[in-house]
Amino acid sequence: MSDYAKPLPTPDEETQPWFDACKEHKLLLQYFPSADYYQFPYSDRCQADWSTEWEWRESKGDGEVYTWGLMHQVYHPAWGEEVPYVVAIVELDEGPRVNTTLVNVPHDQIKCGMRVKVTFDDVTDEISLPKFEPA
Amino acid sequence: MSDPISGQTAICGLGVTPMGKIYGHNSHWFAAEAIKTAVEDAGLAKDDIDGLLINAGITGGTPGGVSVPLQGHLGLRNLRLLNHMNSWGATASAMVHYAAMAVHHGMANYVACVFADAPLSQGKTAGSAYGGAGRRGPQGMTSLFPAYGYYGANTGYALAARRYMEMYNVDQDKLGNVSVAQRQWAGMNPQATMRDPITLEDYHNSRWIIEPFHLLDCCLVSNGAVAVIVTTAERAKDLKSDPAYVLGMGQGHPGNLPHKSVVTMTTSGATLAGETAFNMAGITKDDVDICEFYDCYTYTVLRTIEDYGFCGPGEAGDFVADGRTKPGGSFPLNTGGGQLSSFYMWGMTPMAEGVAQARGSAGERQVEKNDVVLISGNGGTLDTHGTLILGPSN
Repeated sequence: MSDYAKPLPTPDEETQPWFDACKEHKLLLQYFPSADYYQFPYSDRCQADWSTEWEWRESKGDGEVYTWGLMHQVYHPAWGEEVPYVVAIVELDEGPRVNTTLVNVPHDQIKCGMRVKVTFDDVTDEISLPKFEPA
Repeated sequence: MSDPISGQTAICGLGVTPMGKIYGHNSHWFAAEAIKTAVEDAGLAKDDIDGLLINAGITGGTPGGVSVPLQGHLGLRNLRLLNHMNSWGATASAMVHYAAMAVHHGMANYVACVFADAPLSQGKTAGSAYGGAGRRGPQGMTSLFPAYGYYGANTGYALAARRYMEMYNVDQDKLGNVSVAQRQWAGMNPQATMRDPITLEDYHNSRWIIEPFHLLDCCLVSNGAVAVIVTTAERAKDLKSDPAYVLGMGQGHPGNLPHKSVVTMTTSGATLAGETAFNMAGITKDDVDICEFYDCYTYTVLRTIEDYGFCGPGEAGDFVADGRTKPGGSFPLNTGGGQLSSFYMWGMTPMAEGVAQARGSAGERQVEKNDVVLISGNGGTLDTHGTLILGPSN
């Protein structure tokens, strides 16, 4: 029984493979060959050319901080001990911008544009969350 | 050259209910009160209303939210136009756009456009009303948001503001000045919830919600409703209240695609929407006397000023810093206090104030030169945008 109290994501049928890959510390993206387009979050259709032909591909996990913020408001009691905590959007080199958080970096050193790489936090036996740290 | 529809339609009635922590009523009650007030304001009768456009706010999609069944609640039997619309904060402008086109072409004579919301309940925080934890149980990748501690609209806009501030080297004072100026206007608005003056120091001392946003960067959450009645200019000129003529209309919806191929968060739909609306009105930004801009956050105001072309990207902080947007200034902006200080009715906040200013009924805060009033609506995280240009003559 995990004592992890923060909200956990709930995989559904379409996204279960993505969450399974996270457990193996792999960050997957959808790749749509006809438009040579990487996409995240999951959708059954390509935003670039409306194609429905795609495959999962592993991201290199490299990118840069598109933007970030420091959350002070406690919306869920489990975050109470951790505020202020970092919320961030990372632009992966493959193209997608992902909502995430940053770890292993002091708050006063975070800047938009800083290079980061993915790292996985095994928060429970079932869920590993991709987070990013300075590259 | 203006478009043939410019000046041919008008807002002939305005209804604004009591606003804020008004408990004991649901959103249907507020909607009905606002429409009743607007119909009386126009000097019309219930059965004159033959069009109804509806926008629910935070309570939209919940059992308490207004939608098409509002027709039955109001006992309207003559409707030739009816819809429940939602492009978030851009909806208020959009409702007037569609209503204006409908009355211009004879699809209806008097269209009531209403926004109503009642998310606040006694003893609960505004945060729990707007995107608080457990509001819905997301699945799939959407469920990653709470897992990373993202909550509500505050998060998206704070992230947008941070990128803007770092890109253009904009400091915290530049956001604060917006809040301080608008509060000064709110002091003259009897319908405003927050009327006590604030200083820049008060702004900095207000608690952090999510950096870079203090509490005083964020809009209120309100119970209430606003309704306007749209008709033709011909009908409007013989009615009880002075018309606010619809001179220009436009929309621009860039969306918020999370991909490096598009710029998001530091640009809005105001440029596209504004171009369409200015062309329709046959004017330029230099003809604008008063601005009523959607101000869910201080940052939204700065970006909107820039995207309508009043100054360059990243320059709005300096543009505002000299106090020109305050009462008596050369660039009157959000003259009712806006969503930051008066009340939060999505796009109906700037709409209500714009109508009041255009027809000269804004009381103590009335701006003398009111020939052209520019109103914006904005939704998502700068995803959707609506523009409406009003004036006292056509």
